[in-house]
Amino acid sequence: MSKMFVIDPMRCNGCYNCQIACKDEHCDNDWSPIALPQPDTGHFWIGVDEKVRGSVPKVKVSYIVKLCQHCENAPCMEVCPEAVYRRDDGLVIIDPAKAKGHRELAEACPYGAIFYNEGLDVAQKCTGCAHLLDDGWSVPRCVDACAHDAIRFGDEAEFADELAKAAYLMPDRAEKDKPRVVYLNLPRRFVAGMVRDLEADEVVIGATVTLENLATGEILTKETDDFGDFWFEQVDAASYNLYVEADGYLTRVVEVDEAEADVNVGTLDVFESNE
Amino acid sequence: MGKAKGRPIIKGMGFCASAIGANVCSVDVAEDESKILRLRPFHVDEGYDSEHFNTWKIEARGHTFEPGSKVVSGPLSYSYKKRVYSKNRILYPLKRVDWDPQGERNPQNRGKSKYVRISWDEATQIIAEEIKRVHDAYGPLSILVQGDGHGETKFVHGTHGCQTRMLGLVGDYTLQARQPDSWEGWYWGAKHIWGMDPLGQQNLQNNIIKDISENGDAVLFWGADPETTPWGWGGMMASRLCFWFSEIGVKQIHISPDVNYANAVHADKWIPVLPNTDAALQLAIAYTWLSEGTYDWDYLDSHAIGFDNFAYYVMGGEDGIPKTPKWAEQKCGVPSCTIKALARYWAKHAVSIAHCNGGSFIRSCFAHEPARLEAALLGMQGLGKPGANQFKFIEWSLFGMKSVTPLPPSVEIPSCSTAFRGRQYSVRPSIIPKTMIPQAITNPPVQWYGHIAAGLPREDQFVGPLTFPLEGKERIHMIWSDAPCWETCWNGGNEMQDALRHESIEFLLIQHPWMENDCLFADILLPINTKLEEEDIGTDSDNGMWNVIYYEQRAIEPLGESKSDLEAVEEVAKKLEQFGGIYEDLHSRMMDGGKTVADFIQAGFENTGAASAITFEEFKERQYYPFPTMQGWEDLPAGMIQFYEEPERYPLTTPSGKLEYYSTALADVFPDDEIRGPIPKWIEEGDGHEERIGSKRAVDYPFLIVSNHPRWRVHANLDDVTWLREIPTCKVTGPDGYAYEPLWINPLDAGKLGLKTGDVAKIYNERGGVLGGILVTERIMPGVVYQDHGARVDSIVTGVGGLDRGGANNLIAPSATTSKNAHGEVTSGFLVNVEKVDVFELAKQYPEAFERTYDPASGVVVDEFIVERG
Repeated sequence: MSKMFVIDPMRCNGCYNCQIACKDEHCDNDWSPIALPQPDTGHFWIGVDEKVRGSVPKVKVSYIVKLCQHCENAPCMEVCPEAVYRRDDGLVIIDPAKAKGHRELAEACPYGAIFYNEGLDVAQKCTGCAHLLDDGWSVPRCVDACAHDAIRFGDEAEFADELAKAAYLMPDRAEKDKPRVVYLNLPRRFVAGMVRDLEADEVVIGATVTLENLATGEILTKETDDFGDFWFEQVDAASYNLYVEADGYLTRVVEVDEAEADVNVGTLDVFESNE
Repeated sequence: MGKAKGRPIIKGMGFCASAIGANVCSVDVAEDESKILRLRPFHVDEGYDSEHFNTWKIEARGHTFEPGSKVVSGPLSYSYKKRVYSKNRILYPLKRVDWDPQGERNPQNRGKSKYVRISWDEATQIIAEEIKRVHDAYGPLSILVQGDGHGETKFVHGTHGCQTRMLGLVGDYTLQARQPDSWEGWYWGAKHIWGMDPLGQQNLQNNIIKDISENGDAVLFWGADPETTPWGWGGMMASRLCFWFSEIGVKQIHISPDVNYANAVHADKWIPVLPNTDAALQLAIAYTWLSEGTYDWDYLDSHAIGFDNFAYYVMGGEDGIPKTPKWAEQKCGVPSCTIKALARYWAKHAVSIAHCNGGSFIRSCFAHEPARLEAALLGMQGLGKPGANQFKFIEWSLFGMKSVTPLPPSVEIPSCSTAFRGRQYSVRPSIIPKTMIPQAITNPPVQWYGHIAAGLPREDQFVGPLTFPLEGKERIHMIWSDAPCWETCWNGGNEMQDALRHESIEFLLIQHPWMENDCLFADILLPINTKLEEEDIGTDSDNGMWNVIYYEQRAIEPLGESKSDLEAVEEVAKKLEQFGGIYEDLHSRMMDGGKTVADFIQAGFENTGAASAITFEEFKERQYYPFPTMQGWEDLPAGMIQFYEEPERYPLTTPSGKLEYYSTALADVFPDDEIRGPIPKWIEEGDGHEERIGSKRAVDYPFLIVSNHPRWRVHANLDDVTWLREIPTCKVTGPDGYAYEPLWINPLDAGKLGLKTGDVAKIYNERGGVLGGILVTERIMPGVVYQDHGARVDSIVTGVGGLDRGGANNLIAPSATTSKNAHGEVTSGFLVNVEKVDVFELAKQYPEAFERTYDPASGVVVDEFIVERG
């Protein structure tokens, strides 16, 4: 039965165990006929994209694990069908003997998951640790090394309940490539800030903060917490108006442009109304 | 079994060293024994049925937390193959080219001159003759043993202090004290308000995770990073607990200058605070509670003494300065409105405080004050009530104490102490505090209070003054170190570089697996192997899941001519026997009457309860024994609940048995100490420290540095691991291709200084400078720079006023200790300036340093330092 990877960045602590375990397995170990050794550095058959989001003091770091998507319609296979094959379990393998000299494979992957080993003159990528699966292991090294089930590997049926919520790394390509790696909770954008009564030098607790998506008109609301903070998580990359309303204070409106990055709007000072 | 799987053995890949095992790992060895295939998580259920375990479960708020059976360590353990096969391994005994024990010793050239290969026979003959000569000329106490600190955890083979077993039999030695370095502020400060021997942190932590799960509203992570510090000592359970708190809605509030790695993924709230200014923030919280009447007066009445004195100080009665949130804002950088919000939130909720040791909070000048104030605040909100304790994400079985595990405990904390051949004693008649080594070498005598050993009771701090050298004895003339990282791990490393070159040091012997840090100052270097090359026994009682004892088979043959720490000392012992007299039969004596490694492994096993469950042969066959969960663990009193409910029946270990907001003992013993006085205070400057943003020095050095336990090292360990170094926050490649230690700076400061990511900058003060690779990031607050400690030294100019390329910022940390009667290290929260450098100009200025043989993937390589290889 066809296997798949399910990756959940919300369960990722950014420890890089997956990347290290992959290197531990494949650098200086020859697993022919599945894979030749990976170069010691510079290649990431599984890698982590880390991104610092927001600004002081509303800062988060997101980690997104990336690897070969083991596509059903793999672009690499199209480019070089003689060197790439799919196993019965769905894992896409570059045959190291047949891929010798096929530099075009490294260019073919839209996910950047194929690397060219200059020393061995061969294109390489994640094998799903097929050599271990064939030797009785149930999961690849990266999955074994994850403490949080942020990377899982198994039969599609095991993940049936979650697949409805799953997304793809490159949604525009998903239909064409049919990746066997899916993602839960891919990070979107956040808007955060703090509301303060400047004159009283107090945070404002329980203020209503409204976020209006200027393109869709969608409205989200939050109340400021015990620290005067508000967080809107997993919102669209769009332009917004943000309204702050609290009893006895003048309403404030600020524009928030989330197109490029997450935004900490900072401290929003509110002032008493004269009513 | 297939070829891919290999032959599985077990190794403890923790880094505490000295018989405190952790990070149990499976290691697969190639079937032809030629190499290590892989290091991977240990699955505790592979060799024992599920009925064996009595699996625990915490249920709270509709969720369930269970230990599972996969024990996951961190990337520091799983990348260790690169450390074993490092290009920097010392593979043969080496002698410094211009050190001639029969002629010129050229101490001034240590750190500069190179090495030649010699044989084990020649090396141990020289060492034996030098020991004999020093014994005869100066007496045995002139040999300083540096045999402590962290590193690989071995039992029979050390790691540290094997030489004490031998030197102790031939007239003793002077011991570098095993400083309470992970706990400085708590040790020197918190003990005086709440006792809590041996370390000053809350020592009753049973069932605190269950308690917080059921009753807690929030946890304050005060400088704590559960995603970094525990990696060397316990693995991923700390991380799992943070996810668990998120799952059940326990608020995680981080208070620190940086977005540390736990904050980055788990925090619900970050309160940035300037390094080592927590005391101001804490006092303003106390002020808010006092002025608003939102503290537990009844509790203090029955559980504390001296609170009125403390309140008088906080409200400004003593010095005319009320410790208001506005006052604190100027000191600590936290907006006063946020201080008040935090104080009010805390007063209304069940709040615990979590730690992982280390960082500015506890390793800066006057660190005893924030540590004491933390206990003071916990007391004001009813310390010990449900959901309100202090606990740790690390050291869950420290010193074998059953009371410090906050998770459901196993039936036993196994101790293989009978197998241990490392450092024999923590206190000797002749000792030197680790923080005072440079002065003790260059300018004896030195004086201090207490025996400065982690684990001693509070009262020991009042013993003294103690002196080195002992009356009538000689100064240090020989050093034997197996922990050669002083300069990048301690206070004022540049001063240590000068000390190691001092003319009084006639012989500097170092044994170590890798050519790094203090090794470059050695006269003789002995090649040591890694634990993958040794047979041993181990324990792991710090993974938070299952306590385990395991048999460590040898994975591979020793590389080169390397030997274990124990074996190296054995070779010296055998050579010393030629002198007869006190040296007669020395080897057999140091091995407790000729015992072997196998004997000690068996003795270690038999010291544990595993021996009553399985035979030693079965143990070796199955390779491990896991201890089930204790029956009835749910009934262990949670945290400080007994003190909370019955303070008279369950007193603290303070003189009064209560929380001492006014420490009667400090008042009695050190009546003139204004820096660590009876009441915890904000200390601006004093005892040799001017490290505040309001200090005069801040005109020239306006930034405070925060230097944590490193994310991608354990202190000085692992800096050359290629797989770690390519992780973006591990190293920053400069324009010259050199991988620099990252230096985080906020975009606001970077803009002012014209710095961008990838630039190289120098941080510096009067004590010298170190380089760093700039990371412009919102993960650090303005006015502060962040650089982990422990980077591998790569000196451009050595000694005080020097310059280091590696980014080993301990070199420029203050030499003065915590305060005059508290002898802790000060290695974070000090002033520096930041300046962009042109590395190509520097290379022209210092061609020798910049032309060292260098591999960007692993750093400077050992060949650079060797002039001949046979």
